Amino acid sequence: MAAAAQHPNIKLYTYAEVTEVSGYIGNFEITIKQKAKSVDHNKCTGCGTCWEKCPTKVDSEFDLGLGKRKAIYIPFAQAVPNKPVIDRNTCRQFTKGKCGVCQKVCPTGAVDYDQQDEYIKEKVGAIVMATGYDLFEWEKVYGEYGYGRYPDVITGLHFERMASASGPTGGKIIRPSDGKEPKTVVFIKCVGSRDDQKGKSYCSRACCMYTAKHAHQVLEKIPGAQAYIFYMDVRTAGKMYEEFYAKTLEDGAQYIRGRVSKIYPLGDKLIVRGADTLAGVPVEIEADLVVLATAMVPAKGSEEIAKIVGFSLDKDGFFQEAHPKLGPVETTTGGVFLAGACQGPKDIPDTVAQASAAAAKVIGLLSKDQLAAEPIVSQVNEELCSGCELCKPICPYKAIDMKKITERAHGKVIERTVATVNTSLCQGCGACTVACRVGALNLKGFTNEQLLAEVEAICL
Amino acid sequence: MKRIGVFVCWCGSNIGGVVDVPRVAEAAKEMPNVVFATDYKYMCSEPGQELIIKAAKEHNLDRVVVASCSPRLHEQTFRKAAERAGLNPYMFEMANIREHVSWVHAQEKEKATEKAIELVRRAVFKAARLEPLYKSAIGITKKALVIGGGIAGIQAALDIADAGFQVILVEKEPTIGGKMAQLDKTFPTLDCSS
Repeated sequence: MAAAAQHPNIKLYTYAEVTEVSGYIGNFEITIKQKAKSVDHNKCTGCGTCWEKCPTKVDSEFDLGLGKRKAIYIPFAQAVPNKPVIDRNTCRQFTKGKCGVCQKVCPTGAVDYDQQDEYIKEKVGAIVMATGYDLFEWEKVYGEYGYGRYPDVITGLHFERMASASGPTGGKIIRPSDGKEPKTVVFIKCVGSRDDQKGKSYCSRACCMYTAKHAHQVLEKIPGAQAYIFYMDVRTAGKMYEEFYAKTLEDGAQYIRGRVSKIYPLGDKLIVRGADTLAGVPVEIEADLVVLATAMVPAKGSEEIAKIVGFSLDKDGFFQEAHPKLGPVETTTGGVFLAGACQGPKDIPDTVAQASAAAAKVIGLLSKDQLAAEPIVSQVNEELCSGCELCKPICPYKAIDMKKITERAHGKVIERTVATVNTSLCQGCGACTVACRVGALNLKGFTNEQLLAEVEAICL
Repeated sequence: MKRIGVFVCWCGSNIGGVVDVPRVAEAAKEMPNVVFATDYKYMCSEPGQELIIKAAKEHNLDRVVVASCSPRLHEQTFRKAAERAGLNPYMFEMANIREHVSWVHAQEKEKATEKAIELVRRAVFKAARLEPLYKSAIGITKKALVIGGGIAGIQAALDIADAGFQVILVEKEPTIGGKMAQLDKTFPTLDCSS
């Protein structure tokens, strides 16, 4: 993280979004919306006085509600940049119009309540999508696990925040309900993954391993603890993965093959009822804490950004690669590449590998001085074009414009409008040729004459 | 008179296991403008491509038809082969007799062969009307945009930046780091994730 911020070739925009992309491979024009941070980061030293004095406490998104943050905040102590923003939705200065504490205490006068969103234009030759994933919202569908009503049924990411030495509990695994250390922890895998009925049909790939890691951490951090893992399959395809799983078994983790049918509270315990399908017996465990390995789903806003940049999604909403085997980091839009879980569920080693692969593709592209543009593009027969403009809105690449031409007709010079194709933008999809009523548009390599010859060949 | 060469691929047993490939090549010989037709186990392989180049020279071919897999897989391969044979790379047409024939009609071998012949005929008719096309050159802005500042975005940005190119890294949250910054130790090495 720090290396990215310090790199002389990297310009970092945080608290920012890409709102517009136009152009084509090698020549994109982008607009970045820099959301108002309400803090001038050129003046701010990151001393932290403002967030210490801020009177507004809200749930920390970074700690998934297990900890608190202020209205002026950095998400966590090692954040990059290590300078705060004001959350205008909760800050009293913005919601009630009075407070001003942070501005008063700031020693450098960096707090600026009047700061506006800024729009910045940039030109780039290639785009890497790395928008990641979110977790499946299990609370909405898994009634048997309590629809999120039991505070001691948490997700793997909650567990991570607790296990983290810099997290809200300082690395201590506790029950969110009463802060006690759990002695019996139940893990449930495939919550939302491999579940056509309630979730997604795919495997989220990282959960088997992180659940093994969580079980290992429970057994390591809590003396005398028990860890039970309900699973459908254990998938450990990765270098040193099977060995890691074997070690977790040695540590004493108890794997139970079967699904959990119900969780309900009894006193301060959670009763986890399921089946051991290998032994063919029902199982009931009195648990202190239940951790769900929830599915990875595309990050919120994936669909919108895919539309802005201009490429397609797969059936699950992940970004569609050009070819599952031979083009795993390319999209079908030239110059746009994919890295990480935005393309599909992935663990960290695979994410890093794909990110480097995407980078290699970008470096290869940017190393060229010129690009050869595909000649399979649309062309206009100006004599036939009536200037009806029907083709213009149909073009998904905004490659068609209208232009004026002058010509002689019946002894007079007349001016009329005809379509013109920007051959750099045109991707050769052929949509315009179908829309053109007079047949003035033709796709090179797929001309009307060529297509009719094919029809003739089949119908002979 | 056009001079078309037709090259029919077995794709190992992918096509050859269903379609009577030699019969398709024989049928192609009877099609208009076809002066040469043959079949080979793997047309995309080096010997397969050499076969096309050699035949193009020997039979003075001015356009090439390959009947094999989807153009998504090997259109570029065969365009390059056509170019190496001294032809304009767009004087090439492909017939997909794998995805469109052998993979979907594995139970009806006779009909599959007939369909393959029809698709080759289609390609031959189109090939007769192909015109040379030429690529144009466009410039490149030597700068990259990375959208998302998690581990994937950071890794990609660092690699591109290390190669000497400017990178713009855009993150919607107030900090970079993404999900990985939220994690504790990570498997299988259990090192920290900061």
